[in-house]
Amino acid sequence: MENKINLTINGKEVTGRPGMTILEVARDNGIDIPTLCYIQDLPPIGACRLCVVEVEGSRTLVGSCHTPVAEGMAIQTHSPKVIATRKVLVELMLASHPDACLICDKANICELRRIAADLEIGLPRFRTRKHYFPVEDENTDMVRDMSKCVQCRRCVIACKSKGDEPLFGMAYRGFDSKVIHGYDQPLGSEACEDCDACIDICPSGALRKPRRAGEERAAKALIIKG
Amino acid sequence: MPQKRVVLKNCEVIDPKRIDSHLESGGFKALSKARGEMTPEQITNEVKASGLRGRGGAGFPCGIKWDGARTAPGANKYVICNADEGEVGTFKDRYILEKDPFTLIEGILIAGQAIGAKQGYIYLRAEYHYLLDHLQSAIDQAKQKGFLNGFSLEIREGVGAYICGEESALMDSIEGKRGEARYRPPFPTTSGLWGQPTIINNVETLMNIPPIILNGADWFSQMGTERSKGTKVFSVSGDVARPGVYEIVLGSPLRELVEELAMAKDVKMVQIGGATGRILPYDKLDTPLAFEAVLGAGAVTVYNESRDVIDIVHRTMEFLAEESCGKCTPCRQGTEVMAEVLDKFHKGEGSLKELQNLEALSSAMMLSSLCGLGQAAPNAVMDSLQYFRNDYESRVAK
Ligand SMILES: Cc1cc2nc3c(=O)[nH]c(=O)nc-3n(C[C@H](O)[C@H](O)[C@H](O)COP(=O)(O)O)c2cc1C
Ligand code: SF4
Ligand code: SF4
Ligand code: FES
Repeated sequence: MENKINLTINGKEVTGRPGMTILEVARDNGIDIPTLCYIQDLPPIGACRLCVVEVEGSRTLVGSCHTPVAEGMAIQTHSPKVIATRKVLVELMLASHPDACLICDKANICELRRIAADLEIGLPRFRTRKHYFPVEDENTDMVRDMSKCVQCRRCVIACKSKGDEPLFGMAYRGFDSKVIHGYDQPLGSEACEDCDACIDICPSGALRKPRRAGEERAAKALIIKG
Repeated sequence: MPQKRVVLKNCEVIDPKRIDSHLESGGFKALSKARGEMTPEQITNEVKASGLRGRGGAGFPCGIKWDGARTAPGANKYVICNADEGEVGTFKDRYILEKDPFTLIEGILIAGQAIGAKQGYIYLRAEYHYLLDHLQSAIDQAKQKGFLNGFSLEIREGVGAYICGEESALMDSIEGKRGEARYRPPFPTTSGLWGQPTIINNVETLMNIPPIILNGADWFSQMGTERSKGTKVFSVSGDVARPGVYEIVLGSPLRELVEELAMAKDVKMVQIGGATGRILPYDKLDTPLAFEAVLGAGAVTVYNESRDVIDIVHRTMEFLAEESCGKCTPCRQGTEVMAEVLDKFHKGEGSLKELQNLEALSSAMMLSSLCGLGQAAPNAVMDSLQYFRNDYESRVAK
């Protein structure tokens, strides 16, 4: 077939097609690159940076979820430089994260925890102030706890992709930036139709279903490597 | 070596309010030449051959950028002049906008001719609002004289965000969105403003275009070093007797600018390139000002022996933490961590462990941040740790 792009990933020769990203080609070849903001089939966001890889000749690492493959690329997905960088990134997310895993409803299915475990991260080396936002629990379909948000923006993109007036947007800058509802109003009872698009893909405990009386928490076991 | 005025040739010479005064001193001749005697390809080739590199900080070869947009498919191409001048300690673009708006307009029009654009924008820093009428009048006068020739040139004002000087955030801002960096590729030359091929250049870069077209690439490339051709306009401030805007040939030593022209005394260190720039101690004052060594957008802030390094680095980091757009993890979280650590050192409550962690953090920020802000944010910390480590170690909590 024409239109094939030849490249190497971790020394192995692989092929991709025009328009494919490094991440897609890697996954096709059974190579696991961690991602936090990427959502399959939606436009890449590029915010979390966890998917960075080393591309020969590039000054910096590149985001694999949004960088298209090119002929002759030589890529390392798990070099010491890449791993060291990913560790710092997760530690930075944990630095401002509330120490609330024990009582978090999503603890067992939390992607942030899984990625931290995969990278063998314990207590983060870095500290920052924490965000304290009141839990928004007025809505019958969704509980929002922005103190736990890692700002991946998946919910923003997922909601937008539904086509209606999006529920969420970004506001403020730097460390204070925040995914907001409306003009930074707490989620009310009216907010949205019960589509769950955002809850299902939120990688942290920031968005979850309200627990109904007598209901147990989703008790899927957390798989920790090693 | 004295100053060499190429970019600033007309400043304080012509009357910046009257286009006739500019025409009398040879204004718009380069535009006539570009439109009358040259093909777009010849224009981009001339700019390429001159070796001109971007003056907004990153130093990307101007001709290569133009050629990318010239050959990119697209019906509506755009030229953007970056007059956001947000870097701490820079005021050279302001001086140019005030003293010689016509040469800038000429440069923009030549750029439009080169890439086949019919529309251009000047993105003006919010704090330069007072220049709006002045610039608009210059555009109107050029239009009246027929120089715009169907090209539409509009001014767009920023609202005070440092990140909106970054090219992709700037385009978001013009599009009416929240200004945040975009990932690249695609690059603006193929998919920029409203997804169309776009070139974006700093004010000073565009000021170099008319003289290059008029005098030729050879004339231009005789000035400067191997990889840094021409002159550079510097904004010098801080502990100097004569702060101001100076233009010198690239490759000149920093000492000349700081001690001879600006007449600084008892220099302790110099910050070159603003908040994301480099820090050099006094004994590195013979470093040449060139892309090969240090340069940035030409902000030169001088600190004398009475200044506290940690205080300066801390405030630099507080600025960057405040101005980070917040999109990517390393910059949003990393600048905050750094600002908090530096605050502790500032108060004499630092720890050696945190100092070590700063190095790992810096490396991750440089390698993984989405745009130049996060990538260059650790510069001041890393440089000061290299040259002034004692200042840190003496602030470790006892
Ligand atoms: C955080 C940040 C701020 C920037 N601010 C400016 C600015 O105020 N003015 C400017 O000309 N370039 C600025 N730049 C550089 C632009 O992104 C871009 O490289 C430049 O406008 C390209 O023009 P040039 O090639 O003529 O230098 C900034 C870059 C970053 C990362
Ligand atoms: S609420 Fe969840 S999905 Fe939305 S940005 Fe925060 S962590 Fe990501
Ligand atoms: S590096 Fe900083 S300013 Fe640039 S995209 Fe990331 S958060 Fe925004
Ligand atoms: S998964 Fe690529 S940047 Fe987040």
